[in-house]
Amino acid sequence: MKKRLSLLLALVLVFGLIGAAQAASLPFKIGLITGTVSQGEEEYQAALQMVDRYPGSVIHVTYPDNFMQEQETVIGQIVQFAMDPQVKAIVVCQGVPGTTAAFKTVREMRPDIVLITGVPHEDPPVIGGVADIAFETDQLRRGASIAQLAYQMGAKKILHYSFPRHMSMELLAVRYQNMKEEAAKLGIEVIDVTAPDPMGDAGLPGTQQFILEDIPRQAAIHGTDIAFFGTNCGMMEPAIRASLEAGIIFPEQCCPSPFHGYPGALGIEVDEEHKGDVAWILEQIKAKVADMGRSGRMATWVAPINMVFVEAGVELAIKAVQEGMDFSDAAAVEAAIYEATGVNLSINRYEEGYNYYLVLADSIIF
Amino acid sequence: MNQIKRLISRNAVPILFGVVCLVGVYFAKMPGQFILMEIVKRMARNSFLVLSLIIPVAAGMGLNFGIVLGALAGQIALILATHWEWGGIGGLLATALLATPLAVLFGYLAGILLNKAKGREMITGMVMGFFANGVYQFIFLFLVGTVIPFDNPKLRISTSPGLRNTIDLYRLKGALDGIWEVRYGFTKFPMVTFIVIAVLALAIWAFFRTKLGQEFRAVGQDRHIAAVAGINVDRNRKLAIIFSTVLAAWGQLIFLQNIGTLNTYNSHEQVGTFAIAALLIGGATVTKATIAQALMGTFLFHLLFVVSPTAGQAIFGSAQVGEYFRVFVAYGIIAISLALHAWQTRTAAKASMEEDVSA
Repeated sequence: MKKRLSLLLALVLVFGLIGAAQAASLPFKIGLITGTVSQGEEEYQAALQMVDRYPGSVIHVTYPDNFMQEQETVIGQIVQFAMDPQVKAIVVCQGVPGTTAAFKTVREMRPDIVLITGVPHEDPPVIGGVADIAFETDQLRRGASIAQLAYQMGAKKILHYSFPRHMSMELLAVRYQNMKEEAAKLGIEVIDVTAPDPMGDAGLPGTQQFILEDIPRQAAIHGTDIAFFGTNCGMMEPAIRASLEAGIIFPEQCCPSPFHGYPGALGIEVDEEHKGDVAWILEQIKAKVADMGRSGRMATWVAPINMVFVEAGVELAIKAVQEGMDFSDAAAVEAAIYEATGVNLSINRYEEGYNYYLVLADSIIF
Repeated sequence: MNQIKRLISRNAVPILFGVVCLVGVYFAKMPGQFILMEIVKRMARNSFLVLSLIIPVAAGMGLNFGIVLGALAGQIALILATHWEWGGIGGLLATALLATPLAVLFGYLAGILLNKAKGREMITGMVMGFFANGVYQFIFLFLVGTVIPFDNPKLRISTSPGLRNTIDLYRLKGALDGIWEVRYGFTKFPMVTFIVIAVLALAIWAFFRTKLGQEFRAVGQDRHIAAVAGINVDRNRKLAIIFSTVLAAWGQLIFLQNIGTLNTYNSHEQVGTFAIAALLIGGATVTKATIAQALMGTFLFHLLFVVSPTAGQAIFGSAQVGEYFRVFVAYGIIAISLALHAWQTRTAAKASMEEDVSA
């Protein structure tokens, strides 16, 4: 009896210690919601890394693939976190439609929860008014920076692929405008191409097929000194493949990242060991592009920006909960992101009055 | 015994769905409070829209995929209401009033089209929804700000014509829900919304006891016999679609005043498919739908939505498998319900044919 009791006590002690070691990582929980791999592999992988870094403290769920049609589920998934009194922060990346409505409900239920979103799809003042902090790639400055990069890589024309639903997003519309203005200054032309909407009747395959067929067609008309830019994630893999084949210029993706479209288009197998390894993937892409004789024609950002958003979102949430960090100080946010992720970003406030930050990173030409 | 068997076979779909939901609830282990809160919200949002489908089914026009048109009418009224800064319950009523003539017009046009496509109403209605969506995008992405003068910086895209993709409805948010709410823990029961839904259910019930309602039923059972009996079939079918479209417009207003943000180019897209899926899950068929089936279906369909992501995650241990799990369970059962209905109709037809032969 005594023996058993002591064994039991020892067991309790051991498990208690393990439990304590895990819980000690964070004294509270963070709710993290991303898409599934079919929508965006990067956010999903970044979320898994966060779960590994803070086991038991970061709860990861996904929003529906059909998030446009199933907004009520998006809202439900986010609001669910607020039911757990231990959850002190919610990070949503990407901030698909429904995020604003969900954040409003969470605010009503639990005003203490820190709300963070990356890549918000909703209008900046609307989501900015309810989130504590929102990150988006700097679409406004990118309009000019993409035109400059394309020019620097030798482009005489830029093909801008989009569709009406995307062009109704304020930031994407302004980016397009800025791209045209900068291109005019540089003496190059921006050609507007309308692709089928992946959320439309033909679906994503319809869009991808169009991209594969249209790039060689455009190259035949305008020559190979043209640069591709598309506004939709699903376009990227076929676009990179077709650009490499046709020999046209590819300055960066819609969501710039070495992991976005390149591995699939170039047939690079990312094994377990190298998942999320940025230096390794950059090297691989450079080698493959050189093999195909397309060096200097392909580029992207040095950091996978959506992964940075997930990581920075979680780390900033911890700082806000533990140290009461003030997100309205842009310089402090920039420094905190560098400290947490090792990526140097240049961030800009979108508009006074709320914390909607626009982010830019450096480019790398392969 | 036979009666029980018949009861089960008639309600196979809701029973099957109910069992899956129970399994989901068991595995999800969610706080009861959360399930209650979500279900109450979703019932308040969706019941009105699902009920708007019943009248065309009775009139023999199948499931009205064209309620997207009604939703569009509601949204157009909402955009104008936001522009004119209407707020509160008065604002919402005015918006409903504004949406009604639009919905009547859309319903009338849809009715004319569907009368030309008798027997193929559902697919025609669906394609009509796509078409209307295109026209809507054309108007609000291109004509607004070019042909139609419209200069509201909160609604317009700053650099090009067209409306922004998200419109904040903060003036109308909770206009109906907020009048009288009964709190129970986290859950707020929007009493007035439920009263409105109950009134609609009663109205539909009473409607089928009027002369016009009986005419709809007669048209639904057999167009030719109804015509011989002196009923104006085309006019009745048009009226059925107009009723449904107007109700859908109001339903969309109830839905959006609860959500609080309008996704200008997407909010209407899911309306038709989701309302129809809910109705089918309640045990309705393309030829018969009742109020109880509509409400039951809304409850079950949304209960699965609430529990399945977490249940999938608990069963398969991966966040995204949970999501796929929900999709295949929900739509798999809808497919089964359609197949079951086709099979039941065929066996019934076969049985009656055999009876004819033996007689």
